[in-house]
Amino acid sequence: MKQWKLMLNLICIGLLCIPIGLSSLETKLSGEFWGRWISEIAKRKDSDGNYENKLVSNYFSLERGYLGLETKFSEQVKGRFTVDIFTTDKTHEYREYSLADSTLSYSTKSGSIDGAGLKIKYAYVDFGGLIPVKDMTLTAGMQKVYFGSIYDWSYTLIGKAPSDEHKVVSSSDLGITLNGYLPSGFGEYQLGIYNGEGYKKVGANLKENTDFAYLGNLRVTPITGFTIGGSYMINTVERDKKLDGEIINSSYEEQKLTDIYTRLAYGPVDLTGEYIIKDVDFPDVKDINKTQTYTATGISIFPCLNLKAFLPYNLQLVGCYDIWDESDRVETDKARNKVTASTIGVNYNFMPDETDNPSMQLQLNYTAKKYDEDKSYSDYADGKKDSSQINLQLKWKFANTL
Amino acid sequence: MTTKIHFVTPLLMMLFAFNLNAVTKNQITCTGSTTVLPIAQATAEAFMNSHPDINISIRGGGSGVGVAALQNGTTDICNSSRPLKSKEISAAKAKGINPVAYTIANDAISIIVHQGNPLKDISIQQIKDIYTGKIKNWKVLGGPNLPIVVISRDVSSGTYEVFNEKVLAGAKVEGSAQLLASNNAVLSAVSNTPGAIGYVGLGYVNESVKLISVNKIIPSETTVKNGSYMLSRKLYMYTNGKAKGEVANYLGFIQSERGQQIVQEQGFINIR
Repeated sequence: MKQWKLMLNLICIGLLCIPIGLSSLETKLSGEFWGRWISEIAKRKDSDGNYENKLVSNYFSLERGYLGLETKFSEQVKGRFTVDIFTTDKTHEYREYSLADSTLSYSTKSGSIDGAGLKIKYAYVDFGGLIPVKDMTLTAGMQKVYFGSIYDWSYTLIGKAPSDEHKVVSSSDLGITLNGYLPSGFGEYQLGIYNGEGYKKVGANLKENTDFAYLGNLRVTPITGFTIGGSYMINTVERDKKLDGEIINSSYEEQKLTDIYTRLAYGPVDLTGEYIIKDVDFPDVKDINKTQTYTATGISIFPCLNLKAFLPYNLQLVGCYDIWDESDRVETDKARNKVTASTIGVNYNFMPDETDNPSMQLQLNYTAKKYDEDKSYSDYADGKKDSSQINLQLKWKFANTL
Repeated sequence: MTTKIHFVTPLLMMLFAFNLNAVTKNQITCTGSTTVLPIAQATAEAFMNSHPDINISIRGGGSGVGVAALQNGTTDICNSSRPLKSKEISAAKAKGINPVAYTIANDAISIIVHQGNPLKDISIQQIKDIYTGKIKNWKVLGGPNLPIVVISRDVSSGTYEVFNEKVLAGAKVEGSAQLLASNNAVLSAVSNTPGAIGYVGLGYVNESVKLISVNKIIPSETTVKNGSYMLSRKLYMYTNGKAKGEVANYLGFIQSERGQQIVQEQGFINIR
């Protein structure tokens, strides 16, 4: 078992080294930046213990700053490197270790960041023609996670894809994938092996895990405009036994993740639906307390109406209805129970490029979130973190061949 | 029930208006391949002469640009000098765009050199060796002692993609090659550079450059149609679904006897 994992690692490293001997055919520089204003109101306790609506957020931010280099080493071999520069994410977390009674323990702390944060979002190489299957590409490195809608989420809405928003999977991870297309444009498929912890964690926050995550994804478009698909991923968190004396690790969890995806696009109407199931098991919990195991489910519907054909302006009306239900989860300190989010919004697309694709987009979204009881938010009314939020965002992007 | 009707009725009306808009509008946009550009321009001019109420606007940019515009729903016709790839068709279909191909002409990727170059014929292998940097001087091929200047197309070009498939077989073009954005740019560079070699659509070949045969076969109507010229290909116009209204009339005109005559006048080979 360990030997073939080692072999996979060696293959991955070998594949990543191939491009070193190649020189570039064409290099493209691209960027995408999101400047956002967020204003959020929620019902919170005042000093007298009464609840009242309070402005809890009101700020400008650079939410995303993708800067990418894409290079073609040949018609079949392509590399991509993208960094994400941002001002907001509280990602500077670190572990603080302490030694007491000969036991080493740690706690996770958050630290402030001066300037901007930086993450590597993508760093991969596509090898077309390496496998003798038509239209199949082998991709190695930090790349998209082909689960649900997360890998081609176009942010028509300001919010994230549901599987990203509810932290079911990460949008990017290190691994190896096979990507292919069905004949005559009938769809696409992916098979992948990933680290399973995403692109955000570094240093002390990297999980102690020797298991890979395994992914399969299939999308079929049997008739133009109607797509149906499914993704399945097996992942683990932490390792089952600590190296030191093979101690059983109660934090070890096994996840079975399922996503059913459907999209209907006809003329100006584009409707996407997604159903997510997250099964979590803690096999190392000795008392076999079945309540430790839980299943979370999510349903999301995203309608979009393009008004360009009817108006002199390139406008889109967008919406979202999203339910995420974790009420099966009994860990009271972490429970989020159930949240329902409804969003309406409008997009104004302008500054079209040579293909008439907008280089700039102004987005306005209003989101109302309603929570079932949630004891982890005691400062909010009855533990319900109900809120309403306005987001105004200007996105701009460019791509030039060097 | 009443609520449902209130919701569904405006939606159906908008969908109907969308289709009506697609059928009845008198503005047609064509975007994409620079190889197809002269055919599109000449046929559009003739079509507009006989249909003064129709306006056809044509833009180049390359086949890749045309495909992206079709996928985004921002063009009525995508001009392409290559067939669409599975990836492109798949992405289009998921967006509700059904690419339907109309073959409008036959073409030959024509190998051209400077007028002063005595070379008359070249093999596919020799072209590959030149473009991958293995052959760097014309004297290796029996020509003058003159460094070869390699002129190629940028990678968004359909002509490049067909050339890559039929000649390079996936190998990379040598690093010092000039990658130009259009057939005209290649023609101009080759005609002004004594050691240059390039490739363009047959319709672009004129007396400013020298056309050479490939594997002893010169591109012509006969050799392209019977497939003996190895670098022959078809040129396409793609629409979203089967063409309707004036778009269908325009495509029908291109495929008609008069339209194909214009194709030939532009230096390309008809499909009849």
